[in-house]
Amino acid sequence: MKKRDVLGSYGLPVQVRFCQKCTVSNQRPRISFDSSGVCSACNYADFKRHSIPWDEREKELVALCDRHRKTNGEYDVIVPCSGGKDGGFVAHQLKYKYGMNPLTVTWAPLQATEIGRRNLDAFIRAGFDNILGSPNGKVTRKLTRLALQHLGDPFQPFIYGQTNFPLHMAVKYRVQLIMYGENGEVEYGGDMKNAFRPDRDIQDHDKHYFSGLPPEFWTEHGVSLADLRPFMAPPFARIAENKTEIHFLGYYKFWDPQENFYYCRENTGFAPNTERSEGTYSKYASLDDRIDGFHYYLAYIKFGIGRTTSDAAHEIRDGKITREEGIALVKRYDGEFPRKYYQDFLEYCGITDEEFQEVVDSWRSDHLWQRTADGWGLKFAIWHGQPT
Amino acid sequence: MISVTVVDYGACNLFSVRRALEKCGAEVTFADTARAIDGAQRLVLPGVGAFEDGMAGLRERNLVDALRNFASSGRPMLGICLGMQMLLSESEEFGAHEGLQIIPGKVVAIPRTSADGQRHKIPHIGWSQLEVPVGGHEWSDSILADVKPGEAVYMVHSFTAVPDDASCRLADCHYGERLISAAIRSENIYGCQFHPEKSGEVGLRILSAFIGLHAGSRIQHAA
Amino acid sequence: MKNVRLIPRLDIKGPNLIKGVHLEGLRVIGDPQVFARNYYEQGADELLYMDVVASLYGRNSLHEIVSRSAQHVFIPLTVAGGLRSVDDVREILRAGADKVGINTAATKRPELIREVARKFGSQCMVLSIEAKRIGPRCWEVYTDNGRERTGLDAVEWAQRGVELGAGELLLTSVDQEGTREGFDCDLVKAISDAVPVPVIASGGMGRYEDLVKVVLEGGADGVAMADILHYGRTTIPEIRDAARTAGLDVRVFG
Repeated sequence: MKKRDVLGSYGLPVQVRFCQKCTVSNQRPRISFDSSGVCSACNYADFKRHSIPWDEREKELVALCDRHRKTNGEYDVIVPCSGGKDGGFVAHQLKYKYGMNPLTVTWAPLQATEIGRRNLDAFIRAGFDNILGSPNGKVTRKLTRLALQHLGDPFQPFIYGQTNFPLHMAVKYRVQLIMYGENGEVEYGGDMKNAFRPDRDIQDHDKHYFSGLPPEFWTEHGVSLADLRPFMAPPFARIAENKTEIHFLGYYKFWDPQENFYYCRENTGFAPNTERSEGTYSKYASLDDRIDGFHYYLAYIKFGIGRTTSDAAHEIRDGKITREEGIALVKRYDGEFPRKYYQDFLEYCGITDEEFQEVVDSWRSDHLWQRTADGWGLKFAIWHGQPT
Repeated sequence: MISVTVVDYGACNLFSVRRALEKCGAEVTFADTARAIDGAQRLVLPGVGAFEDGMAGLRERNLVDALRNFASSGRPMLGICLGMQMLLSESEEFGAHEGLQIIPGKVVAIPRTSADGQRHKIPHIGWSQLEVPVGGHEWSDSILADVKPGEAVYMVHSFTAVPDDASCRLADCHYGERLISAAIRSENIYGCQFHPEKSGEVGLRILSAFIGLHAGSRIQHAA
Repeated sequence: MKNVRLIPRLDIKGPNLIKGVHLEGLRVIGDPQVFARNYYEQGADELLYMDVVASLYGRNSLHEIVSRSAQHVFIPLTVAGGLRSVDDVREILRAGADKVGINTAATKRPELIREVARKFGSQCMVLSIEAKRIGPRCWEVYTDNGRERTGLDAVEWAQRGVELGAGELLLTSVDQEGTREGFDCDLVKAISDAVPVPVIASGGMGRYEDLVKVVLEGGADGVAMADILHYGRTTIPEIRDAARTAGLDVRVFG
């Protein structure tokens, strides 16, 4: 398989540098570092902690809710969720604190885990209406395989679907407001242009989530327009006519994923896993899909940034762990191969181990990887110390 | 400042004992030679672990005679836990072993079951209430002078001391329905099966009383 | 009946006392010394310090905290987390610990139990077991603060540890830890029935009834508590009273 141009595809800098404050490197697409070597996510975290007038923001939230609240029994806000801690926090706050009538919407995981399903059920039982969108299973498998082979990320189709499903639901139920948790680009380091507004333009979708591959690509590979329909956004005209708005609760309230975990433990019956997720140390994040380990693994191959790096980075920013501990965790767990569901994954995609490894190797850029005695190693790992 | 010497024969952690004694106002020195023991005003013999190892440690350092001499000199002496057990004649732990023979008696295993057949957990670990032994003396002229019966102390042991002379039993405690020896005494020599340095305020009171004993006195039992 | 021991458990990370749920999501609560002193004054029977990042760094870092506590706290201190050798044990005992809890290192090299027991005494060697239910009456041993599986059966491992010289067992239920939903009494009973040494139950205390149940049904000799004390939900004297009212023997204090 041809070697991919990771640097070109993602616009990455050749020289690896690590943030001085957290564990993330400059290889995360769209992240920026300031002149002191601190990443945009850490700077935002500081700003968030010290300079945002949260009581003012809350007033804005109350006003937003007042504007959208319906008292005729109809839904007035769509909350995308998976049954996890983030959506759970958003839904619970909106319903029980701000008096809204949310419809929670879940895009079905490719292969649900037991703990994921249990958490979703507990969430529903805690008092929420929920719609589970399950796209054609056969089509989903094909798309997943194609995405793996052509994009190096089996999870992309899932992400398309998950992103667009709330738009479908908003349009169908005639709900104007969609409320997400955090703006990932802002919180975790990416395109900062949305940091100071509560919402995002709906056209922005393509740039962040479609990785530059139009639907035509899929039809070329035997996936019909009808097959793709559930994964794509509804016609823009319908979205506009509905006056649809996408807001982030993270703009209105201080966002801290670990605190969401505690909150959901108390309020929505959320239970963390009793064993840590592969590739990281944590037990409370992203528990619902057996396949998502491979998304993180491929990110590790492409960017040298695995699940541990990301988990540790936000926990450092939120003051839950020190950078020293984060680095020790990254050294121990980052890039761990998700062995537990590997066979399931291969079977799901209908590929062999060799085919998977071929894809993986095609994404190993020379600027990040070198051969070692027992396989491959990162040229620059955070525990090596800062490269000069 | 009152000086207390603690015997160091490699058998345990001395830091807790020192700290507690210092907290009670003593100046603590360590003795690992016969001469240092001879020169002591008050002596504490601590110890945890196996009887055989403890005695071996004392013999290796030639401390056995010095300890026996100290005991007969009338100066205050306190054996803690294993230190108390070694004051006796012999122990049945892991075979028969000779002790310091300062207080006649034997060290025997705590029975594994109670009188009604309930299994005991061994070692006995935990807090036990101190009681005046049946037919025993009250405590006012001893290191338990500031302790009331019923106050608890911390014990950790699998073996228990049984002095030949029952009047040497200063305090007992219950384990199951059995009474076992918690503290023994023969004139100037005291033994605590419990750890006064780990028994909170009660323990500190006991150590203070020990420190306050007049060096060189020979306290007579009330008849 | 002998007295049940009430043992506050302090999970420590760096300089801080922390608390988690299922050994996860660890929240900073405050200065361990303040809490330790307070618990001593309230009448705790022992204190248990767990270094929860020790296995990550490959070392126990509680020496200073333990030393400082030992200046003012005259009850037994047990220290666990990251102790991997006889030398590590010696160092922490020097710092003021009375007993050591060992988990990960013992599962990797069981002989360590024998070495520590031989050198410092069985009463000093507490085998720390984190157990997760994997079936009815079946539990697996975990290490690294509930992060890694070992494949060991908890009951068999407990027996083996005692044979090697462990004088006491500290048993933490991964399933119940931090949930405040009670202890895993089946686990405690299975282990307690299988070994002749005292067992301290840890993980899950939410109400007084939980303590009573784990002692009466589980056979626990001591109970380690964290959440319920650190968050000020109750005090040790209140727990003592509740236990006594329920017919348990506890130390008379105050």
